[in-house]
Amino acid sequence: MNRRSFLRTSGVLATGIAALAASLSPLRELSDYSSAEEFMQKHYKELTKDDMAKVLARIEDQVEKQYQVRPHVRDYKPMDGVEFVYCLNLTRCIGCRKCVHACVAENNQSRDPEIQYIRVLKMPHGSLDMEKGDHNYSPDKVPEKGFFYMPVQCQQCRNAPCVKVCPTKATWTEPDGITVIDYDWCIGCRYCEAACPYFARRFNWTKPTIPKDRINPNMSYLGNRPRKQGVMEKCHFCIQRTRAGKYPACLEVCPAGARKFGNILDPNSEVRYILDNKRVFIQLKEDLGTSPRFYYYFDV
Amino acid sequence: MDGKKTNLALAGVALGFLVLAGVFARDLPGRSVAPTPPIPLVDLKFIDPTPNRVSIAVNLRKGADASDYDCYVCHERNKPLKLNIGPDGDVIVPSEHKDIVMAHGEHKRNNNCFNCHDENNLDKLQTRDGRVLKLTDLSPASTPQLCGSCHGPTYRDWEAGVHGRTSGYWNRQMGDYSRLSCVSCHNPHSPRFQGRQPAPGPHRLHPPATVPAVQPERAE
Repeated sequence: MNRRSFLRTSGVLATGIAALAASLSPLRELSDYSSAEEFMQKHYKELTKDDMAKVLARIEDQVEKQYQVRPHVRDYKPMDGVEFVYCLNLTRCIGCRKCVHACVAENNQSRDPEIQYIRVLKMPHGSLDMEKGDHNYSPDKVPEKGFFYMPVQCQQCRNAPCVKVCPTKATWTEPDGITVIDYDWCIGCRYCEAACPYFARRFNWTKPTIPKDRINPNMSYLGNRPRKQGVMEKCHFCIQRTRAGKYPACLEVCPAGARKFGNILDPNSEVRYILDNKRVFIQLKEDLGTSPRFYYYFDV
Repeated sequence: MDGKKTNLALAGVALGFLVLAGVFARDLPGRSVAPTPPIPLVDLKFIDPTPNRVSIAVNLRKGADASDYDCYVCHERNKPLKLNIGPDGDVIVPSEHKDIVMAHGEHKRNNNCFNCHDENNLDKLQTRDGRVLKLTDLSPASTPQLCGSCHGPTYRDWEAGVHGRTSGYWNRQMGDYSRLSCVSCHNPHSPRFQGRQPAPGPHRLHPPATVPAVQPERAE
């Protein structure tokens, strides 16, 4: 090798390395790097009890480090003989949006950029055409005459399109009917967001912002533990509450009692009473064949 | 092709890339998106599950003065009251009870005080089929007896847990659940749910003023 060829080669190499560094520069924006264990973690369904205990402890440490609040992260398993169903009374909903914000508070959703699992649509009387829905209403008083209000969230479909399109099986339907996401397995491709006909799925474009004094420390692995940048999230029927036997947060705050939740397989449940006795039911976009577990009804 | 020109060209390209790398590393062009103002946190009143109203029973349980609800401070015992009906057929509420606004029923059909109150015994309530309930004992089990004596289907739904909010545990084996009495949500004199201010809607990236005025024939 002579000087000329040395200089040339080194020049080409320097160029190559510089171009590589420049093209990788967006990675510097990625603020939370996965630890080695997090990166090598198995899929939720393959985790043993010991693995899960370690994962939960790691999550508790991470949340405490970031928010200075020690959470209690659990892994709730589905109960036998339970299939969750939601019934929403459209005669009673007044469109106050308290459910939206109660959900945000319970499930540790990002405030800035804003993520809200529930979207309330103001619909004119006489139509269920969702294109006529307005989600930006802000009058002085609700309800407004001539309109009804329809909150839309994940419908936990029996035939979920989002589950079908996920390339990594990071989202699936659990035996109790809830469509869940393993946040550590999701690669953030957003196919599920494209497939969902209800705009149920939300993506974390940046690292979520949760105010420290409003964080909910009762968390679960598949539910309301804080997510990271680049993963999908959505309504999971407050899995940390409902699998412990409680009502979801949106139901607990509704001032009109429009929301009803329960086990459809229990003949004495409220939802069975509704499905047996009320007469007008709507499943959104029924023609798409998603078979939602979310029933809207009128009190007639 | 070998020689000085090639070397020069390569050196020039390499220098160009090094400069570009430096530019990206230092983030000199900056972000082209204008920073948006921070989204305010929601007012805590919008996540408060407290029911619509504080009924007399709840107020008494919290330690309110029971003498506020003693009718015989003003009224005489054993003197049956008469209603004043105005020219439009609507009851005239005496000025001492001016805080009561009567609007019960469509077209105020049920604005007769003694449909519910007992004119002979003011601290009792009466149903049309003769049941008698104490005014101050409005426990979750008793008001629905009065309201349910006319509003049957609603009462049936309430008993099943479907009218009004049921809180607590859906799984009754794992914990307790609680129901609310009718008057925790409905004012018995003007039962219709009042309108209220809604919580703020989803944050809009572009304020409404920047949306063009000409819209197609559908909602945004």
